[in-house]
Amino acid sequence: MRRFLDRYWYAYAMVLPVVVVIAVLVLYPLAQGVYFTFTNINEGNIANPVLERPATFDFVGFKNYLNVLSGGDSFGAFWGTLVRTLIWTFSCVFFHYTIGLGLAMLLNRQVRGRTLYRVLLILPWAVPAFISAFAWKYMFNAQYGIINQLLRSAGLPDPVWLGQSNWALVSVIIVNTWLGVPFMMVALLGGLQSIPGDLYEAAEVDGATPWQRFRHVTLPGLRSVSSTVVLLGIIWTFNMFPVIYLIAGPNPNARILVTYAFERFFSGASRDYAIASTYGVLILSVLLVFATIYRRALRKQGEVW
Amino acid sequence: MAEVSYVKASRVFSGNPPVRAVDELSLEVADGEFLVLVGPSGSGKSTALRMLAGLEDIDEGAIHIGGKDVTNVPPKGRDIAMVFQSYALYPHMTVAENMGFALKLRGVAKTEIKAKVEEAAKMLDLTKYLERKPKALSGGQRQRVAMGRAIVREPSVFLMDEPLSNLDAKLRVETRANIAALQQRLGTTTIYVTHDQVEAMTMGHRVAVLKDGLLQQCDTPRALYDRPANAFVAGFIGSPAMNLKTVPITSEGAKLDGVIVPLSRDAIAAAGGLDEVTFGIRPEALGIVPSGEEGMEMTVELVEELGADALVHGAVKIGDASQRFVVRVDGRTPPTLGQHVKVAVRDHSEIHLFHPETGERLEA
Repeated sequence: MRRFLDRYWYAYAMVLPVVVVIAVLVLYPLAQGVYFTFTNINEGNIANPVLERPATFDFVGFKNYLNVLSGGDSFGAFWGTLVRTLIWTFSCVFFHYTIGLGLAMLLNRQVRGRTLYRVLLILPWAVPAFISAFAWKYMFNAQYGIINQLLRSAGLPDPVWLGQSNWALVSVIIVNTWLGVPFMMVALLGGLQSIPGDLYEAAEVDGATPWQRFRHVTLPGLRSVSSTVVLLGIIWTFNMFPVIYLIAGPNPNARILVTYAFERFFSGASRDYAIASTYGVLILSVLLVFATIYRRALRKQGEVW
Repeated sequence: MAEVSYVKASRVFSGNPPVRAVDELSLEVADGEFLVLVGPSGSGKSTALRMLAGLEDIDEGAIHIGGKDVTNVPPKGRDIAMVFQSYALYPHMTVAENMGFALKLRGVAKTEIKAKVEEAAKMLDLTKYLERKPKALSGGQRQRVAMGRAIVREPSVFLMDEPLSNLDAKLRVETRANIAALQQRLGTTTIYVTHDQVEAMTMGHRVAVLKDGLLQQCDTPRALYDRPANAFVAGFIGSPAMNLKTVPITSEGAKLDGVIVPLSRDAIAAAGGLDEVTFGIRPEALGIVPSGEEGMEMTVELVEELGADALVHGAVKIGDASQRFVVRVDGRTPPTLGQHVKVAVRDHSEIHLFHPETGERLEA
């Protein structure tokens, strides 16, 4: 032990600050959050140093989990919200990926003004999310928004986009797609550029049609990039709070797990920290399970990741 | 099986001024012939091959394969197979899938693909590696897979774009012989691009020398070596390169360092009216003679011992300038560095004369 310390103390000393920071910023809140899920903590019984009030919350065991997982409306209709979250996540990532790939392929050839297009297409990414969210909110306005004005002038029905219907979910998916495409496009463009050009020539000489070249050269060549960005995209979208909350607010038709956790934490008659934490832990578990399955599936296909 | 012909085919890259990468190339390749395109980098040899493959547009002229005009036919319809310098193996497919890919696209039955792949693998000694991915193969094995991919298709023409340049020297010599033997056996018309004149000389039935997009000469290796059409071909073919020097010419012969090298009457007639000619002589046609005899005075600057023989590099004064010459001598008794030796022409039939400005051969 002594020799071990003598030999490696410097390395440990160098790593220590990071370990402390991670412990304080990640591990402690995580542990505290998990602890809260087993209590009935809320605004009324948490310790309040200003009022010199001690903590009076009690340990309730798995009651919170039972309440949430039983799917009652007063606890956010967990299963329905989970399904909506999955619809939201997969449709967003699907559109991100397909549109991003399409644009990346357009940009991956010699076109006039390629740099300009690239800058323009990255723009949604560069604008702060809340600014684009508000801009879109105005555009979706049922009466004065530009979208409905256009639809009306084309003689098409003009839905109340952000009302109490599934159009709210459609609206936030549209906005998030618009916001998320640039990242996919840039990442996939990088991937496309790393595919050697002579593979396409070899495929062409082998008699492959453009579609076959896409299928047998482009897609396999993008596999490692795709698997990473799709995983990231799913995690990010699953937890995407600002877009939904800034555009649809607490509209239950656009509610996903994170936005409900936020609502529970910051609004309502009594701010229910325990239920919000329970949602947080459940979101974490869902993502952990998903990431594990995803990795397994990739490894089965022979991807070293 | 097919013959190939380039009919004044050109490839012009836009620019200011436009670059004529291949300039009115006219070339006939017979059925079953092994033709090598050789030239320095930028000579247009790869472009010429890619035009035949359909990967590069043919801006002027035409290309025929098997008597059919394929100028505007996409690669798919040309019935060719190409081996790339980088091999361009599909990284996510196994060796067997790589080799069978073209057949799969063509909709050939699985059992037939398997049989053909196995046959080609046997020919190339790849049977053990059929289930591996290219990543897990050595350079030489990848090269063979690239060859196999071409063979499996049984095309009418093989195109090879410097397929050996990523191999080490020893493997290259070995593979060179294997490719030549394979081509002999399959009897498929083959166009082979290389920058290495040794490869060109050893493999080709005929060799086409290109420079700046222009065909310089196309002939058998022997004829290229013995009767180069111009000073460029003379200097490019043969290793070490031919000694090419511009020297004054008189009615008796060429004047080198005060020594008159006698030329035949025909040669002098061909040079008629010129004061100077480009005088070419290969290192092996020169020799070191005893100091008493007539010859050029040479100061030895470098001796390269190759075993069987040695290459002596040295300076000879021609006019006022000092010019470098290379002489091939017996490997056992090379001169030492700094020594002054007498060099004389050993074989007068191996003197080549070229026009000093155009570089054209002055026919003797």
